[in-house]
Amino acid sequence: MINKLILRINLFVFFLFFFITIDAAEGGACKDYGECDKFKYTLNDTESLQRGASTFINYCYGCHSLKYSRWGRVAKDLKIPEEIFFENLVFDDSIKSGDLMVGAMPSESAEWFGVMPPDLTLVSRYKGDDWIYSYLRAYYEDSSKQYGVNNLVYPGTAMPNVLLSLQGNQKLVCKNVPLIASNGGEQRDDFGNTVFEEKCGFLEVEEGTGTLSKEEFDKLIYDLTNFLVYVGEPIKATRERIGWYVIFYFLIFTALSILLYREFHKDYNT
Amino acid sequence: MSEIAGKLYTWVNARLPIANTFERHLSKHPVPSKVNFWYLFGALAAVTLIIQVVTGIWLIMPYSNTEEQAFSSIEYIMRDVDYGWVIRYMHTTGASLFFAVVYLHMFRGLLYGSYQKPKELVWIFGCTIYLAMMAEGFLGYVLPYGQMSYWGAQVIISLFGAIPYIGESLELWVRGDYYISGITVSRFFALHVVALPLVLIALVFLHLVALHEVGAGNPEGVDIEKYLDDDGVPLDSVPFFPYKVLNALIAIGVFMTVFSIIMFFFPEGGGYFIEMANFQEANPLVTPDHIAPVWYYAPFYTMLRAIPDPLGGLIVMAAAVAIFFVVPWLDRSKVASIRYKGIYSKIAITLFGVSFLTLGYLGTVGVTEVRKTMSIICTVIYFAYFLLMPLYTKFEKTYQVPERL
Repeated sequence: MINKLILRINLFVFFLFFFITIDAAEGGACKDYGECDKFKYTLNDTESLQRGASTFINYCYGCHSLKYSRWGRVAKDLKIPEEIFFENLVFDDSIKSGDLMVGAMPSESAEWFGVMPPDLTLVSRYKGDDWIYSYLRAYYEDSSKQYGVNNLVYPGTAMPNVLLSLQGNQKLVCKNVPLIASNGGEQRDDFGNTVFEEKCGFLEVEEGTGTLSKEEFDKLIYDLTNFLVYVGEPIKATRERIGWYVIFYFLIFTALSILLYREFHKDYNT
Repeated sequence: MSEIAGKLYTWVNARLPIANTFERHLSKHPVPSKVNFWYLFGALAAVTLIIQVVTGIWLIMPYSNTEEQAFSSIEYIMRDVDYGWVIRYMHTTGASLFFAVVYLHMFRGLLYGSYQKPKELVWIFGCTIYLAMMAEGFLGYVLPYGQMSYWGAQVIISLFGAIPYIGESLELWVRGDYYISGITVSRFFALHVVALPLVLIALVFLHLVALHEVGAGNPEGVDIEKYLDDDGVPLDSVPFFPYKVLNALIAIGVFMTVFSIIMFFFPEGGGYFIEMANFQEANPLVTPDHIAPVWYYAPFYTMLRAIPDPLGGLIVMAAAVAIFFVVPWLDRSKVASIRYKGIYSKIAITLFGVSFLTLGYLGTVGVTEVRKTMSIICTVIYFAYFLLMPLYTKFEKTYQVPERL
């Protein structure tokens, strides 16, 4: 009786302590963008990874290296035959299959951008895939910046919007949006009409300025992010596949040891 | 064949006490017949120690302890070494789970009075193991030489600087350089792979020898030595081998299942086992936005942060660990187990557990005013649990402990 009471008091104290400490949400990783868009990788989708690799090498590799990754490994993991891979994606004849993807950037590039473009092998691991997926889609026109663009996820980013010709000219716009009432629904006036308010900070692409539609561009970034997740941890797909077998093994192991335990404990429990 | 084996056995046994040792410590070693799951974490700690030693040896082979190559050699292990990722993730997961089982093992000790006479030395060796583990874990975290390795080391080593008079020279002596560099990495490597493992293994040996001398406890706090059979074996005991080994086997099965789930599906442990910033190479010029310790140091880190004065913080943090050593003399209760202790002990251990968890949570997040106040309150409760122990254990009403298990 008294023990149950103590247990209840304990639980109460526990929750009191714990929740009092979870206050004030800290600023999110995606800064002015708000919540990062969720990204779910599909590392078994080889075609997506191949498209991502192609986008990376064509648009990013000029400045960003993948210095812990090897050319031949990428070709092998992405199931691209080596001849085709080297013919289409490797632009330097001296590169061999086992070479690291150390980049094509001359060392004076730090002067061009103010900082040396970082190596991106592990970017998906220290920034997270949600962040990359949001960042690459959050550029907007800002004439005050050196390259005429800024980024909501990474304000003041040194990188120009390399994919501008594909995405088109994205701008920050203001929109009339329904006012949200305190109950979570749209707020209505006395006549039942939705109440609007002007809110700013929306991203909108100027129509006809890019070669890809919004969906096509999002897909391109999806594939690119997917590739960066792969390159951040090439064995990730293998790891998650093997994991099931190992867990299955240990479950069988546990079951057998329970049976063995029962058998032996008949000795002294009877 | 069996004749030769038999002869060999007799020959060796005449020169090395194999049969004796096996009987004394395994097949005839009496352990309490009824214990609960809390008593399994010791065996699990031994399993994790073995995992750490074995995977550690394999990690040393491809790892490079230089400033230029430490970080890239980890990526080399993750990418180019066959199954290098398995070994490395086992080591990182093992480190966190080693602390997890040791914390549970220690809490078991507090719950059931596993430090009371005559087990004081078992407890003290255990506390020393914990201390050595904290050092071992810290040194190991510096080796990948990522951002968090660097800045974490910066914070910890600068603690030495808070000691009056000798602080600055001590800091320099530990670092081996004016700032953290390859020299620091290579000396930490030597300590991490040779010095501390030797100390740890020696301490574990002593912990076990002392335990086998005084006998294991039980959740009832019953002294099983009181009722012996005609051979002098406690009535409420079973031989360790094979009965208790089978308990441990089940525990190992469950533990390894959890281990595999983490290792294969959540190796970063949501940023608590491997922090995200540690995937960036150490950069002395860029401070990470938010320097947080790995989860297992978090409670002590919160205490350090809660005290504005660096030396005061250091003293409080050191005292928080050191106070475990004197627990056998703080507890004045007539009974060992929490089951038969009074209401004050029950309330005290709950508040202690909650404040420890809260301190842990607070150590992994940024500081706000509310959190700062909470850190101070929890630190006070943490110490009150120990410092008031002589009073509440002595003056509370305890319950009658049964004669038999």
